[in-house]
Amino acid sequence: MPRYLIRRLGQAVLVVAGVIVLTFAVMRLVPGDPAVAYAGPKATAAELAEARRRFGLDDPLPVQLWNYVRDLLGGDWGTSLHTRQPVRDDLFQAFPASLELVGAALIIALVAGIPLGIAAARYKGRLPDLSVRLSSMLAVSVPVFWLALALQTVFASGLGWFPVAGEYDASLDRTSPLHLYTNITAVDALITGNWPILTSTLSHLVLPALVIAAYPAGVVAQMTRAALIEESSRDHARLERALGFGETAVLTRFALRPALNPVLSLIALVFAYSIVNGFLVEAVFNWPGLGRYAADSIRSLDTPAIAGVTLLVAVLYVIANLAVDLLQGVVDPRVRAR
Amino acid sequence: MRWHKRLLAAGAVTAVTVTAAACSGGQVRGAADSTSQPGSSAGAAGGSADSTFVYVPNLDVVTDWDPASSYSNEIIAMENIYESLTRYNPQTKKAEPRLASSWTSSSDGKKWTFTLRQGATFHTGKPVDAAAAKAAIERTIKEGQGAAYIWGAVDKIEAKDATTLEFTLKYPAPLDLVASAGYASYIYDTTAASGDLKKWFGEGHDAGSGPYTIESWQKGKETELTLKAFDGYWGGWDGQHYKKIAFRVTPELTTAWQLLQRGEVSFIQRLNSQLFAQAGGTDTVQTSQTPSFQNLLVLFNTAGGPLKDVKLRQALQKAIDYDGLVAAMKGSGVAASGLVPEGLLGNIPGMTPKQDLAGAEALLKEAGYGPGGKQLDLTLTYAQGDSDQELLVTLLSSALDKLNVKLSAKPLQWTTQWDQGKAKDPSKRQDIFIMYWFPDYADAYSWFVNVFHGEKNVQFNLSYLKDAAIDKEIDELPALTATDKAAAEKAYADLQNKIINEQAAVAVPYVQNYQRAYAKSVQGYVDNPAYPNVVFVYDLKPGA
Repeated sequence: MPRYLIRRLGQAVLVVAGVIVLTFAVMRLVPGDPAVAYAGPKATAAELAEARRRFGLDDPLPVQLWNYVRDLLGGDWGTSLHTRQPVRDDLFQAFPASLELVGAALIIALVAGIPLGIAAARYKGRLPDLSVRLSSMLAVSVPVFWLALALQTVFASGLGWFPVAGEYDASLDRTSPLHLYTNITAVDALITGNWPILTSTLSHLVLPALVIAAYPAGVVAQMTRAALIEESSRDHARLERALGFGETAVLTRFALRPALNPVLSLIALVFAYSIVNGFLVEAVFNWPGLGRYAADSIRSLDTPAIAGVTLLVAVLYVIANLAVDLLQGVVDPRVRAR
Repeated sequence: MRWHKRLLAAGAVTAVTVTAAACSGGQVRGAADSTSQPGSSAGAAGGSADSTFVYVPNLDVVTDWDPASSYSNEIIAMENIYESLTRYNPQTKKAEPRLASSWTSSSDGKKWTFTLRQGATFHTGKPVDAAAAKAAIERTIKEGQGAAYIWGAVDKIEAKDATTLEFTLKYPAPLDLVASAGYASYIYDTTAASGDLKKWFGEGHDAGSGPYTIESWQKGKETELTLKAFDGYWGGWDGQHYKKIAFRVTPELTTAWQLLQRGEVSFIQRLNSQLFAQAGGTDTVQTSQTPSFQNLLVLFNTAGGPLKDVKLRQALQKAIDYDGLVAAMKGSGVAASGLVPEGLLGNIPGMTPKQDLAGAEALLKEAGYGPGGKQLDLTLTYAQGDSDQELLVTLLSSALDKLNVKLSAKPLQWTTQWDQGKAKDPSKRQDIFIMYWFPDYADAYSWFVNVFHGEKNVQFNLSYLKDAAIDKEIDELPALTATDKAAAEKAYADLQNKIINEQAAVAVPYVQNYQRAYAKSVQGYVDNPAYPNVVFVYDLKPGA
């Protein structure tokens, strides 16, 4: 196991290094002068020269790459051209909100997807199965942007059941100031007992989290169904039936546990995917996460910020993949031997 | 505990721990992180929900809090926090009193004396006097960032007494207009911080004298900024006023519109044509449409390539379907009349161009091109993602196609487009360059000196026009504007005739329109194009 762990960690480091080089190359290959983006379209020649000097844009490319890697390792992810703040600080501010949204979405996906998968497996080939398969197919294929707008128009703007946008009611900042420990609003509100902000955040979370949850819920339901059907056709299931257990008991008491292993692995991968998938949802629901930061960065050709978001997402993917690999290594010794 | 449960538990604990470690813990979001300002009080805010004006911008509000260098979207907040000596009125086309109650200038336009209003105080509690105003402007000039260049004519500033501020200029200039600029003209307390003033501003403090002061600033949050009433404001708080302003950043236009419909916000900075039309038919919403000071310039390469021939440039001017374009823009633009937008000294009514394909064909024929002649190949660059420019290019390409002119149009990011336009090698430059222009203060001089004055190194003169007579006339504009407005008006008219009609260096297809939507309860809103997207909230009345 230690050798397997070292090998996977080494591969992950290589991938991150590749992403760093690629990000740097893209930053420098994108047409346009970052100094102009920083100093503004009406900047004088002296202001442009100062911006170039400040960002080391006059140095040869290998020197710039070296400085970039050195700064990254030292915790300096550069300065955003549009917020004028360190990119790392911007990301730390935006990421917890995305984590909160995607976390809530994954909880919804598991809570909805697993029972639906069980129901589909239990009634295989019958109406519940067909309904689950159809709805999970729809959930996986519907564009998130469209779904976000549709839910917002119907349930927020039309029926008024949920807030239209935002993370929580901003007026609560004055009446119920929130102590920050994790920067995840719902978690901080929960651990500090700030009920007004907690309830407001939860009501704001419902619609965007449902939209992001659609894809993973569909995948989880499909995968749970498939794994349960496979598991319930094994010898142990036949024995359990012979011992008098009903079909539901066979599925939920004996087949579910082994069937959930691949689902758990999948969740790690879907997490990283949902962070990016959530960018558009964040834009529609005005959620103050990575999506808005990324959109603003792209609009203003803010290359350090774009590189920061790219790198963060790439690292999340690598960590998620690594977690899945390790998980599978723990579950199945044959994987470690490969 | 089974292995996967242990893993899940460990994962959850790690995620929370990592986030907690990564993020600064123990801070308070909300009231406790508000920036308290001496002289301001929460009591003035009233606290009732209806006295909060909620402004919806599409982009983050604050990039730079320093009033000396601020040169971005934060103008929408800064103009409510800070004041300048004067404020421009587009109806009268004149600067009006703000912190200065009156002013005079010498007959040669080189000496300006401003009398400051009595009783004004900064949010720091210190009085706004001539010495403080001098210190603020001198610091802005010394910093030399953003739009600080607007004070370029200033040679010396003297505080003659507590209320008299005297400027001596190197050359004549309309300093009353300069002092009304939306950027770099703010008067602020330079002694507000004991240490580094720039750093102090950057932390979200202000040192203005305007009706509102910063209550809280949370970068990256939906409600990024909240301002509260400044008790000691010289204008007083008698009568009905909004006591707070919240800036709720909403990039998605449909979301902004839904928030307005639900009555959660007061004002939307921008809507697209479709939503704007919908807003016009909604009972609880008001709309306004005002021409901005930003127009689109189609700049023809006068120095090289086929368009060196003035006949071809004139033909292109005639080929543009001006009316069709404005109709297709559905209200987001209005027909331009000359180079100077309405509301500025120098605007000429009745100079609106019309499409004339027969005239264009005749001119092309004279130059040896046109239907039946040689095919004319032209290159054009424009801003990527700008749907209005895209529309213009589509209409122009289609019109030119009939005239045997092949247009190769490239949408580019501004920096790339600009780099190509400034290329040292003239053969790498485009034939037609499309860009917007707007002035940093309400003076048409900005268009002429920046875009049409001969340049040694190309910056914004992207028609590459070089005409000594035109340059001389442009150089005389500031003195004329400062001393003889009628003569300035005439000079502007003459220059526009030369640049547009005789030299055919540019075509101006439209002026952008501001399309605003705001709650029915908001009373007294008037758009002032000299301050893009700014709502002077103190001037509004919160209605029922």
